[in-house]
Amino acid sequence: MADSISRTIRDGALEGEHAPSLTIKDTTASPYGFDVFTHVLSQASSLILAGKSQSRGLVVVAYSRSPSFYLDFLKRSGVDVASSQKWIHILDCYTDPLGWKHQLADSGILPSNSSAGACLFQDVKDINKLQSLILELGSGLVGQGKVRFSVAIDSVTEMLRHVPLSKVAALISDLRSHDQISSIFWLLHSDIHDVRVTTSLEYLSAMVASVESLNQSSDGLSGDLGNLSLLEQNFRRGKFHVRFKRRNGRVRVMNEQFHMEESGIKFTSVTVEDGLVSQGLVPKVLFNLELSEKEKLERARVVLPFEHQGNGKHIQIYDGRRSLAPESMGEVSADTSQSNTEECSNGGGEIIYFRDSDDERPDSDEDPDDDLDI
Amino acid sequence: MAATKTRTSSFSRNLPAASSAQSPEIKCGPNGTFFVSSGIPDLDKTLGGGIPLGSLVMVMEDSEAPHHMLLLRNFMSQGLVHKQPLLYASPSKDPRGFLGTLPSPSSPKDDKSRSHDAEQEKGLRIAWQYKKYFGENQSNLDAQRGMILFQYIDLYNKQDFSNEFDLRRPLDRHFYTTQHVDCISTHDLPNLAPLQERCTSFLSHFPRSDSNIVCTGRIAIQSLCAPQCENSSMEWEMLSFIRALKSTVRSANAVAIITFPSSLVSPSFCKRWQHLADCLVSVKAIPDEDKELAKLLTGYQDIVGFLNIHKVSRINTQVPAVLEATTLSIKLQKRRYLVLECLNQAPIDGSGGTSYGTSGSCSGSSSKSGSLNF
Repeated sequence: MADSISRTIRDGALEGEHAPSLTIKDTTASPYGFDVFTHVLSQASSLILAGKSQSRGLVVVAYSRSPSFYLDFLKRSGVDVASSQKWIHILDCYTDPLGWKHQLADSGILPSNSSAGACLFQDVKDINKLQSLILELGSGLVGQGKVRFSVAIDSVTEMLRHVPLSKVAALISDLRSHDQISSIFWLLHSDIHDVRVTTSLEYLSAMVASVESLNQSSDGLSGDLGNLSLLEQNFRRGKFHVRFKRRNGRVRVMNEQFHMEESGIKFTSVTVEDGLVSQGLVPKVLFNLELSEKEKLERARVVLPFEHQGNGKHIQIYDGRRSLAPESMGEVSADTSQSNTEECSNGGGEIIYFRDSDDERPDSDEDPDDDLDI
Repeated sequence: MAATKTRTSSFSRNLPAASSAQSPEIKCGPNGTFFVSSGIPDLDKTLGGGIPLGSLVMVMEDSEAPHHMLLLRNFMSQGLVHKQPLLYASPSKDPRGFLGTLPSPSSPKDDKSRSHDAEQEKGLRIAWQYKKYFGENQSNLDAQRGMILFQYIDLYNKQDFSNEFDLRRPLDRHFYTTQHVDCISTHDLPNLAPLQERCTSFLSHFPRSDSNIVCTGRIAIQSLCAPQCENSSMEWEMLSFIRALKSTVRSANAVAIITFPSSLVSPSFCKRWQHLADCLVSVKAIPDEDKELAKLLTGYQDIVGFLNIHKVSRINTQVPAVLEATTLSIKLQKRRYLVLECLNQAPIDGSGGTSYGTSGSCSGSSSKSGSLNF
């Protein structure tokens, strides 16, 4: 749930613990991860401004959008950006990540234009420099003491283009264990990377939020093209699945639905629960102690071989004896036909009962001990 | 002790009986092996007495829960309480800081209250494992007998083979400041050669010989393949490190425990690592507030995770160990004591399934026999 995420980020880190970290991941089937990211960003910002969260500042490492985009977005969401110098710093890794424009400007080819406001970072391959710059900017916002700040990484996918996974993981784990970081969250496009990358980042995060499409077919191409409008409608909606790692070692799983609107992303709760999780964890039980509905119905329909069924009628069960009195012949035929229909309706659920008295021969008055020769 | 040791074979090694009486941290096992405690009495019991000297224990972590830390903490504390030298390697930059979180042995008063804490359950429940309820009385008697002997000798420094640890009380500093405790950080190592050298030099202090065992050592390596370490992508190197460690430990009077996040290692290497282990255990997180699981298991509220035992160390023997239960639930009693219990549910089908399943159920995924329907 989006609210639980905001609450966890608001509460921040406890003394001696790692800061809570959030991975937002999406795929091309439902590419709304960035909207979730900006949603979390705006919520975190408003909490910081209102003074309700543990962190007092926010450093945004922007790879996929320009800093002005973020400022505009925050203004649209109703967050006060006039005082932005005091609580937010945007590290601009978008404009000139590899320093090419700078080089070209130096050699006179391009006119140099200095970007105002945000801090320009031109050396994305140097992860140590990035880390120290983040920490510097953060402590510039909140001061050197016990006050903490949050970090938002626009897109770890972009970061991984320049830097290998172990360095990114090292950066994240260092930031998590730093005294001054309250929380950290990032976006990842999971289908671009190897499974190893996604699992490593999930390993380092306390919350994993994944944006999935409504129908489980992995690529939208396999949909029915005739129903294009429905496809389009479904595309703007999706499932939001979050796994929280709790302190006691348990995992809380939450599911929501979201839909995209003009103003942004909206979350609604879902009532259907996923009961399949437990099946894989506990060893499979040999006995089936519960009956399904169908089985209960079948059970109610089986006729038990009592002579008095409790409905006032004397029922004749076929008991292997052919010597029936003629006056009950009519009944017999009726009963056999009834038992025939019962057989058909039971569908195989039948109790065949032979009376014990059948074993006795009619004339066995002999003493069985007679053939003993004593 | 020698008096209570049962003879399992007609061959018995001529062991100097004095060694077992002097050093309570070592217990004689079958086939000429010696056991060291893992720090968790329930686990020792399940493994058949403890961890045999010379074995390599591997713990497959679950990336969603820190339960492997509970196992590591108890293991390390047990070693320190018994004054066994310890070598600890971890991917954090300051491994020494972890020593401050090690638990302290609980006082005997707390022990007694814990063992008498019978679960009073209202209503009728099917007791699938009634042996569990008988067994507790037995162990109480033994424990009391043992305690009477030692109480007069050493009240403060109670030397038992295995202690109960109180996770809320940190270990006294003198345990790790005065003793030989070595810590290495694997974070910045470019490859595993330094770690291997340290392990080898550490183990050279405990050579195996026919004379009395003077002292035993413990090695604890946490999160060997953690993503923030540079060396985490060198899979062949890590494999050869584990193999070298295994052979060195086997010829020394020591026990090594390695935890690794199994989801971050590629499947073929994960299999290879599992094969290298003498004793293989995995921990699993459980979902929070899961109604299905709450119905299936009794005591669900106290369970924090599952522990699966895939392989038990068999040294000097070809006879495999058949365990009564391979899935144990990890509980934190009163949030202080780590307790492992058999799952209180119906008998499971132990015949099917893969040998080292990564999921908890040994037969859940590939069971060929259907469930028996009554």
